Amino acid sequence: MTMDPLFLALSLFRRRKFEECSEICTQLLKKNPYDQAAWCLKTRALTEQVYVDEIEVDEEGIAEVLMDDNSMAQLPRPGTSLKKPGTGIGAPTPGVRPMSQSGRPLSGFVRPGTQSARPGTMEQALRSSRTAGTARPVTSASGRFVRLGTASMLSQPDGPFINVPKLNLVKYAQRQNLAKSLFEYIFHQENDVRNALELAARATEACNFKDWWWKVQLAKCYYRLGMFRDSEKQLKSSLRDQEMVDTYLYLAKVYVRLDQPLTAIEILKKGIEKFTGETALLTGIARIHEALNNMSDAVQVYKDVLHYDNTHVESIACIATQHFYTDQPEVALRYFRRLLQMGVYNTELFNNLGLCCFYAQQYDMALNCFERALSLSTDENMADVWYNIGQVALRIGDLALSYQCFRLALAADNNHAESYNNLGVLEFRKGNIDQARVFFQTAQNLAALMYEPNFNYALLSQKVGDLQSSFSAVNKSLEAFPEHWDSKDLLRQLRVELAAL
Amino acid sequence: MQEPSSQPSGLETPNIESDRADYPVNASSSDDSISTHVGSSAGPSDEISSKTDLTSDVTGPPKPKRRPGKAPDLPIYERRNWLIHLHYVRKDIENCKSLIDEQLNESQGMCEYALYIQALLLREEGKIQESLELFQRTVQINPNNVDNLKQVARSLFLLARHKAALEVYLEATKLNPQNWEIFHNQGICYMYLKDYENAAVSLKSAIQLNRHDTSFVQLAKVHLLQNDVASAIEVYKHAVEYSPENPDLMTTLGLLFLQVGQTQKAFEHLGNALTYDPTFAKAILAAGSIIQLHGDYDVALTKYRVAAAATPESAQLWNNIGMCFFGKKKHIAAISCLKRAAYLAPFEWKVFYNLGLIHLSIQQYASAFHFISGAISLKPKNGELFMLLAVALANLDDKDNAKKAYNRAAMLDQNDPVICLNYSVLLYKMNERRNAAKQFAAYEKRLDGMKRDGKAGEIDSQVYETAAKLSPLLQVGEKFVYKESSSNTSLPESEGYAMSDSSSKSSFV
Repeated sequence: MTMDPLFLALSLFRRRKFEECSEICTQLLKKNPYDQAAWCLKTRALTEQVYVDEIEVDEEGIAEVLMDDNSMAQLPRPGTSLKKPGTGIGAPTPGVRPMSQSGRPLSGFVRPGTQSARPGTMEQALRSSRTAGTARPVTSASGRFVRLGTASMLSQPDGPFINVPKLNLVKYAQRQNLAKSLFEYIFHQENDVRNALELAARATEACNFKDWWWKVQLAKCYYRLGMFRDSEKQLKSSLRDQEMVDTYLYLAKVYVRLDQPLTAIEILKKGIEKFTGETALLTGIARIHEALNNMSDAVQVYKDVLHYDNTHVESIACIATQHFYTDQPEVALRYFRRLLQMGVYNTELFNNLGLCCFYAQQYDMALNCFERALSLSTDENMADVWYNIGQVALRIGDLALSYQCFRLALAADNNHAESYNNLGVLEFRKGNIDQARVFFQTAQNLAALMYEPNFNYALLSQKVGDLQSSFSAVNKSLEAFPEHWDSKDLLRQLRVELAAL
Repeated sequence: MQEPSSQPSGLETPNIESDRADYPVNASSSDDSISTHVGSSAGPSDEISSKTDLTSDVTGPPKPKRRPGKAPDLPIYERRNWLIHLHYVRKDIENCKSLIDEQLNESQGMCEYALYIQALLLREEGKIQESLELFQRTVQINPNNVDNLKQVARSLFLLARHKAALEVYLEATKLNPQNWEIFHNQGICYMYLKDYENAAVSLKSAIQLNRHDTSFVQLAKVHLLQNDVASAIEVYKHAVEYSPENPDLMTTLGLLFLQVGQTQKAFEHLGNALTYDPTFAKAILAAGSIIQLHGDYDVALTKYRVAAAATPESAQLWNNIGMCFFGKKKHIAAISCLKRAAYLAPFEWKVFYNLGLIHLSIQQYASAFHFISGAISLKPKNGELFMLLAVALANLDDKDNAKKAYNRAAMLDQNDPVICLNYSVLLYKMNERRNAAKQFAAYEKRLDGMKRDGKAGEIDSQVYETAAKLSPLLQVGEKFVYKESSSNTSLPESEGYAMSDSSSKSSFV
């Protein structure tokens, strides 16, 4: 006796065995092409294979960022825009908290957007960040979606399952049971936003503009097409029908794209009033605070998240990082240890544990942690581990060891600007001016947004009397870190020298 | 010939232009003392000949032959010099540049003053190489102008080509032997070429001609490079006499006094500097450290608070704040401040020394050992460091190495009595009476030496107490309670550049 194939397919779908599920459905459809249940199930199985969470994944490509005409104000007040994150109270100073390659303060948790700040120029945008791991930055978000669509087509040798252009969308829009899965298929599998939009528009009309789900889908389509204001309208109307966490998150995302972070926070807070203790909403708020460089508020919200979900990795990591950079390595150590207990087991964690142990003077543990980090490391993060070991060696005064460590970091990653800079400092201490100059220059070229190599180069040039190079370097340094007192002082001296008759 | 409408500047220019059209000569000579050779180049037709005229005539530009009543009927390149000058001194760079461009176009790049100002502007933008080329052209146009030569030399100097600059300056002295600037800059060039004798001579003659603060500062620098602090102080004293309201000079003088140990005078000068500029970070730091030395920690902390707002990345500042907290027995705060200082300046051995000291006093000997050994590898020849190392080792029950460290310390530092005293205590604890007595004798000898030098006031009272306890014991041999006397040294230091290295921790989970 064999099992009913449709029941088997459903069971496979629930067990997330989508390939097998869609195979059974294909056979069912061969027998009876008008089997709606099988058709619907196959659509959903195919969609699930390529489904991505729309709310999380959003990396802006160069085109979106540089030709951004969606932001409300061209010259926003400080602290109200993601383009010019605040530098006021709570903002980390680059003198203590290092910057990533793209000029954002280091975050405890890598996610889309933390690696690339909004670049000001084309040149900056084209330079991919070191930790991104790709040769080129994402040029355009829409391009990637198209590629996802073509990839899915490859897996079906006899053409696509549904030929979207030939569909009679009006007919399907009337049939609510099929329309929703068809829409998701078109949107995710085919990536055909235009047709998806048409279907959604007809469907929402068919149910007299009463269904919140269709409005959210409409908004998604508008968002993909870059029509943020329409998207916002649909989402708000959807919220009036039915309040959902997803909708709040999506609306916040729209506001972030419009460069209205404060409104986004407000929306998320409204969401929290309805859904008390929803960690996704809280995390959203914390992320925006962090993007605005308002670390103290961000940490406060992350702590709220931990109150509701005490295994939230992102929150723990961000709080730990903040404690580490505010001179509390002991506290940071506790958070990192918690991550270890939760089963996170990778290079970065051991590296951070090692640093915390060292700065909290638990020397025996520190070296073990670094050893573990090195044994777990891959090509991408090995350089960072060596670099940090070099820092530790510097702290115990073993300059030769630290020199070797920085060299090893460079062997692992040829573009490690921090190592170049520190090698330059070490050479300068030894009195090898020319060597030091070369190292600083390399670091300058690799990381234009770090102020250290620029300032060091300026200082060195000033020492040997080459004021022209010094002047241009110190200006670059101030660009990266406008409040740096030493740079300002140097610039003042140089101005006096240059203006003297 | 002169159309007012072609003037790019504001409303009032047409009037002035028409007024001044006849007297272009005086227009530019208000402070730059550029001798414009207007009279010689009467027009574009005889311009080249007039130039050759100039080069052959060494004595100076020929006098204008025209009668003052007769208006010139040909355009004169220098007629807008006064306007360029006006824009330049008003820092109206945009207008100035467009005016210069116009002028240079008209004169095919032969207008000396326009070139001169353009070069100055370029230099202020940091484009020294380009400005040098322009200055060299002005020299070609008018080789007798000392200013042009001076600027060429200065550009060379700014490009770190000191030898070439010096040669040009020497040439300029031939033209004008009474110019302080030339001597001053010559001195600086000599200084960079490490010829300190000549540098001092040149700077002194510059001061004789004209007393400028910068000359004093540079002369003092030369003295300091020769390790002659006393002369440097003398120079600064003179400088302060001539410009009594310069906080920079006073602060530096104060710091020099501090270096030679005259705390009272140093404090006087630093206080004066602070009355003129109450937020001058360098002076605050130095004054704070003196206050700190006298044990007035709260006052010092309020001083530092002002400085911290201005320079939050100064390792010296955090170091001193940390030692203030240590003085107030707030150990956790002290450690946290000192760690930040160490983070900002990883090569500063004094920070590590202080960290070691604090950890010794809160009895975390292993940590102390690590900090001190770190400091020793940065500064290998310091007796005090080895003494602290020995104290840490003794408390970690590594007596043999402690003894070695004491021996090393006593060898490196021949004057400090505390080393011998501590050593003697250790030996006594190890029941090596004879050696302990020997060290105690050494302690007394060194103490006498210090008293002879008049430095007895620097010794902590704790040292005397310990010695008083120890001396009978060495003769009698009873049980005793002893205290380690590791004198608290807060570091009165405020200058020195902080080579900020990027202490970036990569952390991503």
